[in-house]
Amino acid sequence: MTACVTEKTIANRPQDGADPKILVFACRWCSGIGADEAGRQRLPMPAGFRCVPVECAAGVDPDVILKAFSAGAEGVAVLGCHLDGCRYNRANHAAAKRMALLTTLLETVGIGADRLLTSFGTAHEGHQFAALMRRFSQRIAALSALTCRVTKTDPVLGGWGDDA
Amino acid sequence: MGPDFVKTICPYCGTGCGLILTVRDGRVVGCQPDRGHPVSKGTLCIKGWSAGEFIHHPDRLTTPLLKKGGRFVDISWDEAIDVLVGRLGEVAERHGAGAVGGLCSARCTNEENYLFQKLIRRGFGSNNVDHCARLCHGPTVAAMGRALGSGAMTNSLADFANTDFILAVGSNAAETFPVAMGEIYRAREKGARLVVIDPRTTEMARNADLHLTLRPGTDIPLFNGMMHHLLANGLADQTFIDQRTEGLAALAAHLDDWAPERAATVCGVAPELIRQVAEDYARAPAAMIVFCMGITQHVCGTANVFAVCNLALMCGQVGRPQAGICPLRGQCNVQGACDMGGLPNVLPGYQKVDDDRVRARFEAQWGGSLPAEPGLTVTAAMAAAESPIRAAYIMGENPVMSDPDQRHTIEFLKRLDFLVVQDIFPTDTTRLADLVLPAACFAEKEGTFTNTERRVQRLRKAVDPPGDARDDLTILCRVGQALGLDFSYADSAAVMDEIASLTPSYGGIRYGRLNAGGLQWPCPDTNHPGTAVLHQEQFARGRGLFVVPDYQPPREMPDERYPLVLITGRMFCHYHTGTMTRRSPSLQREVDRPFVEVNPQDAQGRGICDGDRIRVETRRGAIMTTARVVPKVAAGTVFAAFHFNEAPADALTNNALDPVSEVPEFKACAAQIVREATCPNP
Amino acid sequence: MTLDTVRGMARDILEHQTADGVLGLAGDEDGVAPRVFDKADALAALVLEPKWVLAKIALSVLVQTPESYRLAVVCRGCDERALVELGKRHRLDPGRLHMIGVACSAAQAQRCLCRRPWPSRVDAGEKAAGADLSRSDLVRQYLGGERAVRLAKWQEVFSRCIKCYGCRNACPVCHCESCKLEDRVWTAPGEIAPDMLTFHLVRAMHVADACVACGACQEACPVGIPLMLLQLPLRNALQRSYQYDAGTEAERLSPLLANYIDAPAQEIALPDWTDSIEETSWDLIS
Repeated sequence: MTACVTEKTIANRPQDGADPKILVFACRWCSGIGADEAGRQRLPMPAGFRCVPVECAAGVDPDVILKAFSAGAEGVAVLGCHLDGCRYNRANHAAAKRMALLTTLLETVGIGADRLLTSFGTAHEGHQFAALMRRFSQRIAALSALTCRVTKTDPVLGGWGDDA
Repeated sequence: MGPDFVKTICPYCGTGCGLILTVRDGRVVGCQPDRGHPVSKGTLCIKGWSAGEFIHHPDRLTTPLLKKGGRFVDISWDEAIDVLVGRLGEVAERHGAGAVGGLCSARCTNEENYLFQKLIRRGFGSNNVDHCARLCHGPTVAAMGRALGSGAMTNSLADFANTDFILAVGSNAAETFPVAMGEIYRAREKGARLVVIDPRTTEMARNADLHLTLRPGTDIPLFNGMMHHLLANGLADQTFIDQRTEGLAALAAHLDDWAPERAATVCGVAPELIRQVAEDYARAPAAMIVFCMGITQHVCGTANVFAVCNLALMCGQVGRPQAGICPLRGQCNVQGACDMGGLPNVLPGYQKVDDDRVRARFEAQWGGSLPAEPGLTVTAAMAAAESPIRAAYIMGENPVMSDPDQRHTIEFLKRLDFLVVQDIFPTDTTRLADLVLPAACFAEKEGTFTNTERRVQRLRKAVDPPGDARDDLTILCRVGQALGLDFSYADSAAVMDEIASLTPSYGGIRYGRLNAGGLQWPCPDTNHPGTAVLHQEQFARGRGLFVVPDYQPPREMPDERYPLVLITGRMFCHYHTGTMTRRSPSLQREVDRPFVEVNPQDAQGRGICDGDRIRVETRRGAIMTTARVVPKVAAGTVFAAFHFNEAPADALTNNALDPVSEVPEFKACAAQIVREATCPNP
Repeated sequence: MTLDTVRGMARDILEHQTADGVLGLAGDEDGVAPRVFDKADALAALVLEPKWVLAKIALSVLVQTPESYRLAVVCRGCDERALVELGKRHRLDPGRLHMIGVACSAAQAQRCLCRRPWPSRVDAGEKAAGADLSRSDLVRQYLGGERAVRLAKWQEVFSRCIKCYGCRNACPVCHCESCKLEDRVWTAPGEIAPDMLTFHLVRAMHVADACVACGACQEACPVGIPLMLLQLPLRNALQRSYQYDAGTEAERLSPLLANYIDAPAQEIALPDWTDSIEETSWDLIS
């Protein structure tokens, strides 16, 4: 049995070569179906992303995205219907506004705006979905690992644990 | 129609932050920081923000209680005072004055502490007065008193913000003095360096520039190593040593044996780091030392403080603005309780009780004779096999939860012929009492608190005490009058006037002068502006004294049966015995159950997972608690916070005492942990 | 001068019973503290300094008094904006409030990094110029540098957090009944320093479109986290995209809350799938 550690650090970078962990919130009317479509066609896609279907992109609370980063996601994508093709009138505008603000906040503290992807597509666009995931994954992989948990990682010097 | 806003002082740690209580219809409905306060400047920690929450708690004691046939019954104040005076008087008569003891309180005002010690000394003819400084900064008062002439913090908290180097030893100010820590962060932003010496990776250590993890209780070897290096390389401040100190020769001879290499083998800090820190401290234009319980709560606590003073004296880092020795006092008025003579060997103002001239002055003013023999400390009285104490009067303390070796404490209190406890809530100590008196909390009385930087500040009454509860001053006056003493004070201001007339350092303190911001003692006359930095021209004793510190390892070292070192301490959201904080919902929401921190390496070897129920055992007893598996405690040590009466850390601690100050060794004892059950909600 | 004007207005209000009490600062030999003046002759104690955000206190007074109770408040620009924002969010009834508007000095504005140091109606004091943020070292340090530098800087300050909840408690527009910062789903209880993402950034997001830049959070922080600078780029973004400045227009809802058909997103990147990964340049300060 191994002891678990509460002082959670953001899960380490996956091993060399593995795709970065990405959490995707996709609306179940458009982009979510597009994602399924991409899978059904066996299009080449990175292996590191997980898709969470949501009723509408506007239902994704920015807090949930922050929690996802905190829990170890290297990137988060919020995908909705095309801007003028929203199932719920223009709810995706609300999502766009909110995500724009959250992106600003992530940029402010230096986590970086490009870790949060907001995009809009539709059900038959499987190819576009796959391409987007590939590019997003590449972009995240090019960034340095995210250690957002506010723990200081400097080595402790002269510890009496070391010399025993 | 609108609410009232009452400015007062936070009742928790010794920082003495300003609070503003919102009062509506006789109830405290809000609590916010005081923007204009000179210390806290409009900030508070989580405890300060929730300081109003326990005031109207339904558990508050509202009527005097007398134990009859094992059960408490409500009685009137007249009856309570009769019983108290009668029973304590009876014990004093039968067993002599030395059989009565009193514990005053670092949670009560200066005026109340002053009256309390006057009551015990004059009313019962006993010097057995003590309080919980005996459990914390007793060694500081003893050692700094001897080396410098004053046991108090030499500088002001505001000095931290402009200093160049801060050496923190055995202090976790980030959790326990958060507002004072803010000043240290301000200094760091201006380029100051913070070095923390602590066996645990505390919040303070995490935010430091350098953290030295020494083995528990090995501060003296570490300091000796530093001083050896300074002397050997001519880095000591020779001018300061020549002009302002004495006794270096003896210390230098003692230090010959303590080259950093040898120190390193004892304390476990690399020799090059010992050298580097010593040099940085000595070379800094101005440097401050902060120290706390990690220094004092050891069998060699007094010697530890001597070591700290030696280093500061050797480098001339004391007696200037932004350079000094800063013991952070743990409670809102522990400084004041010491100043007011709540100690067995001194009268108010640290005037020795065995000095005939001092006693004569007090006797003249108090109108009666005073005992000459210094009294017993609380720890010595409890530790003695045949304790001479037969009856005790405890005001606002909870020794069952705060004193070492709980089983022993309970036995001691049970053996007493008569125990009276005056408190605001039922505690583990009131349960053992024969008589319980309901008192007023900080928001229900007038008075003054003296914070860690010697600032005397006014407490203001916001609401009335609940039910029949009375403020401690009123209770003490009634008891005093029943004993036939002249305890007729119009109000707390009148008591302060008497204090000022007898205590030179409080000589100029009058309520009229304390309104905005208070005054820092020494303040010898009514035109004196107070003193921000002590020992500027010369030390209070004349020359600073180097004292050879006598190193002793912790009394109980780990062995096969008990292979771990148990460290006890405080955490950010609870305070001491938890009487107040554990009745504050917002603090309980943070932490509502006891825990022990275990290093992953120790946990793994014992099959312990984070959140598992574990049993912690020492030679004194065992508690059931929850494990928190965290790397911030070093392998080989476990850490327990002592706020929780369902798993009291003091059931485990060792009552080995520092021989000078008789402070127990809370910071190190041998322990073992055993897994009991898996985490109930993983 | 300014002070006399305010005292005179407060006297008129109490004498004509325009309001039942005047909330302001009282300064006497005990120092300065907030006070609700209900007698005109007590107004000699009314003072204006130091800067002390009264909006949250005004809210608590209104909540605890009967609906017939009307309160006048000595308001700086930030107080007024906070009260307007609370009115829009139905936390208080603006009809019960009467504001005495006081403009801040240029020096105060620079200390607060305030770009709008005056209330909508200035009853006392002179409108001074707003702060010039480019002159502030603090702004440059926390918002100026490279991404990695910024991240290190913010991580360092957030790691000092002792979870006093002062930023939330002091914030006049923070008003939820139950707080996510107290919910163990988001913030582990009993642990400090709290996670930067799920504590500090969640708090920042919650007040993003209501923040009136009063600085109460920052002033209440015992460890000196420059929380206003966290909010500044968010306020800038709202200003740029929607010309929205919280608390300045009593009738206009936040664009994040507004009916999205009436106030569609403008000027923010709304890419389709094919072109959503575009590098944009960021200006966090202006």
